[in-house]
Amino acid sequence: MSLGKYLALDKLSNFFNIIKQNGGIRASLYKMYRQDELKDGVLVGEDKFGNKYYENPRYFYGSNRWVEYSDKYNMDYDGSQVPAEWFGWLHYKTDLPPHMDPSRPKYKWMIEFTENMSGTTGQYTPYSTTRPKVEPWIPKRKSNA
Amino acid sequence: MLRQPLTRALALSSPARAAPLAVRRYAEIAPQPDKVEVFIDDKPVYVPPGTTVLQAAAQVGVEIPRFCYHERLAVAGNCRMCLVEVEKSPKPVAACAMPVMKGMRVKTNSDLTRKAREGVMEFLLVNHPLDCPICDQGGECDLQDQSMAFGSDKSRFTDIHFSGKRAVEDKDVGPLIKTIMTRCIHCTRCIRFASEVAGVDDLGTTGRGTDMQVGTYVEKMFLSELSGNIIDLCPVGALTSKPYSFAARPWETRRIDSVDVLDPLGSNIVVSTRTNEVLRILPRTNEEINEEWLSDKSRFACDGLKRQRLVTPLMADSRGNLTPVDWEDAVVAAARALRDCPPDKLLAVAGDMADAESLVALKDLLNRLGSENACTEQYFPLEGAGIDLRSTYLLNTGIANVEDADFVLLIGTNVRFEAPLLNTRIRKAFIHKDTDVALIGPKVDLTYDYVHVGESASIVKDLASGTSAHEVLRKLEQAKRPVVILGADQLKTQEGAALLAYTQELALRLQDKLEDKNWKVLNVLQRTASQVAALDIGYKPGVGALLSAGPQVVYLLGADSGVVTRESLPKDAVVIYQGHHGDAGAAIADVVLPGAAYTEKRATYVNAEGRAQQTLPAVTPPGQAREDWKIIRAISEVVGVRLPYDNLDEVRDRLSQISPALVTYGDVQNNNYFAQARALAQSLQKPVSGNLDVKLKTLEDYFMTDAISRASPTMAKCVQAVLKQKQSTY
Amino acid sequence: MQAIKALGAKAPSTVLNVLKKGAFAPVVGQLRQTHLPAPNPNERRPYSPFQDTNNMAEYAVARLDDLLNWGRKNSMWPMTFGLACCAVEMMHIAAPRYDMDRFGVVFRASPRQSDVMIVAGTLTNKMAPALRKVYDQMPDPRWVISMGSCANGGGYYHYSYSVVRGCDRIVPVDIYVPGCPPSAEALMYGILQLQKKVKRMKTVQIWYRK
Repeated sequence: MSLGKYLALDKLSNFFNIIKQNGGIRASLYKMYRQDELKDGVLVGEDKFGNKYYENPRYFYGSNRWVEYSDKYNMDYDGSQVPAEWFGWLHYKTDLPPHMDPSRPKYKWMIEFTENMSGTTGQYTPYSTTRPKVEPWIPKRKSNA
Repeated sequence: MLRQPLTRALALSSPARAAPLAVRRYAEIAPQPDKVEVFIDDKPVYVPPGTTVLQAAAQVGVEIPRFCYHERLAVAGNCRMCLVEVEKSPKPVAACAMPVMKGMRVKTNSDLTRKAREGVMEFLLVNHPLDCPICDQGGECDLQDQSMAFGSDKSRFTDIHFSGKRAVEDKDVGPLIKTIMTRCIHCTRCIRFASEVAGVDDLGTTGRGTDMQVGTYVEKMFLSELSGNIIDLCPVGALTSKPYSFAARPWETRRIDSVDVLDPLGSNIVVSTRTNEVLRILPRTNEEINEEWLSDKSRFACDGLKRQRLVTPLMADSRGNLTPVDWEDAVVAAARALRDCPPDKLLAVAGDMADAESLVALKDLLNRLGSENACTEQYFPLEGAGIDLRSTYLLNTGIANVEDADFVLLIGTNVRFEAPLLNTRIRKAFIHKDTDVALIGPKVDLTYDYVHVGESASIVKDLASGTSAHEVLRKLEQAKRPVVILGADQLKTQEGAALLAYTQELALRLQDKLEDKNWKVLNVLQRTASQVAALDIGYKPGVGALLSAGPQVVYLLGADSGVVTRESLPKDAVVIYQGHHGDAGAAIADVVLPGAAYTEKRATYVNAEGRAQQTLPAVTPPGQAREDWKIIRAISEVVGVRLPYDNLDEVRDRLSQISPALVTYGDVQNNNYFAQARALAQSLQKPVSGNLDVKLKTLEDYFMTDAISRASPTMAKCVQAVLKQKQSTY
Repeated sequence: MQAIKALGAKAPSTVLNVLKKGAFAPVVGQLRQTHLPAPNPNERRPYSPFQDTNNMAEYAVARLDDLLNWGRKNSMWPMTFGLACCAVEMMHIAAPRYDMDRFGVVFRASPRQSDVMIVAGTLTNKMAPALRKVYDQMPDPRWVISMGSCANGGGYYHYSYSVVRGCDRIVPVDIYVPGCPPSAEALMYGILQLQKKVKRMKTVQIWYRK
């Protein structure tokens, strides 16, 4: 074990390393504001929405893989914006990120991933399967219509 | 002429068979025989001779279990459940059939009585299936209740694997009644009801002992307009309601007392609802109107309340198609049409099921707009006394009093289908009082024998003037309590006024000669539930002249009988329809305002005898439908002639200003002024020559007569079934 | 126009839905008033949901709303209503791994000082009056998170004689968290969704419009 470690100097070097990796003091402060967290890691990949996925085994298992949401989401980021193919890697279901995993199935019928649209006009509303108790009268269309 | 099977003649005359004396003002005060003293469980009770043990016990509050006995039916004495021990009698006796004797000591709770009951119950259950969990009678089953209260606590029945229980094939008796004949305990209530009250001898028993079956002898429909009552009568689940089958248990439902509006009698009903849905309608006992019966249309048309409903305001778009709009748009459109219309070109038509509140609101609205053109669909002659004297358009005798009549003359009415429960009263009088019935009009089946005088209206004239040679005139003049019932449909024709004048003349000539000065002879049987209230409020009967004047705006308040059609209106006329069903009225409308049906509002209806009653809301109006008077009140505000009432109590205050009779619920006001009406009608006695005709001749005509029953699938099935039955050979 | 109001508020019903243009139309119509437009995935999202301001005054009240909502959403104190197994998962979000405190969410044992009630678990008929009473004691503005199948709609006990078929029969629910029980992560997500909902409240704007 080196002296540096005893004096916790590696923490200091990590600190500067993190700030450097995150693009300087201003950019680091912005990230802190956005994510409440500042980490250094290896960029594993980026999905089509612009979310970046990082890994750093130095952190404890459970927080050694993370996502930095695309800047366009601003403060409106949300767990459902991680697409399905990255979800597995992020949650340790697999160690292979999607672009390095040849065995991932890809079918025509798979639909485009969307985030959770609750609270917007795009939200999913189930239709009712119960029969209405009262059948309304449907007026007859006039013949000239 | 034998009016009932000989065996029953004795039992039928028992005093409890007629309505209680309090109801029948004119019941004969027979000389009171000395009462006899009997002891029920050592409690002394004084009863008139001829009373049965069961009735005597009921007087001291001792309930004796029974299946076959029913207050309104003949005594059969075949279920044996009412066995009680009588001192000094070697065997237990059937309490329902045993008349009391002086000093009789009855023990209704002795060991012998209990053992007898347990034995009878055991025998009944030997052949009764244990399918209570899937039986629709569950929860309101006499057998269930009485086996809990009076049956044995254990079963000795072990024969299930050897000979098993009796099984009986189910009968098909039409689309209203579901039969599960294995459950039948042979109480014969249904048979007695059919032959005594309904007057249709279709039901009976075949076979003896274990092979005994209740049925219709041959496969046929139970052709009666009162068939639903045998469902209520059946003490077990052998006869249940087909439309209501497997729908709900009685303890899940909410019961709301209400009033029926599908016929002019205003029968009292109980509306069973669950989760804001009317599930079934049952009769509610009212001795003065419907006893405990209910006609099939009133009982089963309730599924029409869920079909063809108006749930949102509609307005015609530029192409003339009705499209859903908001209340605000519809009310503003209606108000604009009313405001821009010259008052003499404004016409309001009230329909079959309009309640008094909305009628008065609509009339007030029209009056405030300067118009007097509020009318009803049904016609009534305005000449003579017109509608100024209430007694000219009411059923003055009273429904309950009809059974005290000794001669009934029906003029141009088929009472059986126009007011089925009035017909049961006449039939009751016919059977128990030897009342004679005569009919002027087309020959129809009234379920009892009558003298058919003819079809011509001139017969009425001859009878009125006393020049007729027919024996009916002699009988009428001899009668102590004659009743003359005139069907309101006959008044539509040109000769209506004269016919009414002659009927008044005839009735009042008879009345003048009566000893009983309180007896009223003249009756007019209205056809709809709203007519009496509308006439009381001052609606003009009939749309004829007002319609031909070419109105610009027509306000239909539930007017669905097809009196107002597009063809009869000017091209640019605006039709506003307010009602609860999409029917004839809504189809021709430009603005449709959804109202509430009679199960959805607290509203006043006045029945044919002038008795005001109120319905109570059982469910909420569907969708955006609203109570009717509130809609009119809203329109009035937009028009700018605000009606001075904001809640129901204030509307009813207004009603009582017009006529206090409209808000004295449950009572009939005494109506007189017959002589004045007669005097006013003298000039109208013109010669009449036409034939009388009635709309409802046979059973298939009866089922679908108004917006609710036309929307009801059950009623449609009934019509189909009757027509099919007509083609069968039996 | 008073009279028209007297006729009662609009009652949107399934019947009506069918009658209008297909089954979805009225639901969507209703959504337009309270919900945001669906986001465009390629656009940068602004912080505030209130972007369509027409004049200075509207802009000012919109920003006031943003400020108010920011304050509200970042200190939501839940009234715990742990009723069954869901409550254990609810405890997990307070523990270090999920650490709800970083969102300003702190359990508060008094309804008088809490903003949101988390109904965690089976609501029985016997508990229902108590639940309602506690809800009534909370000061406005207040929110309800229904956690787990049982609170959402009776769940496993839907057909039981003693269970309320969904706590939305007793209190108005803002967020439904599915699961039996939902993981702590799911509940956390539910709280974040509630924060989003709070973010689009228009308290000042509605006051201004009046």
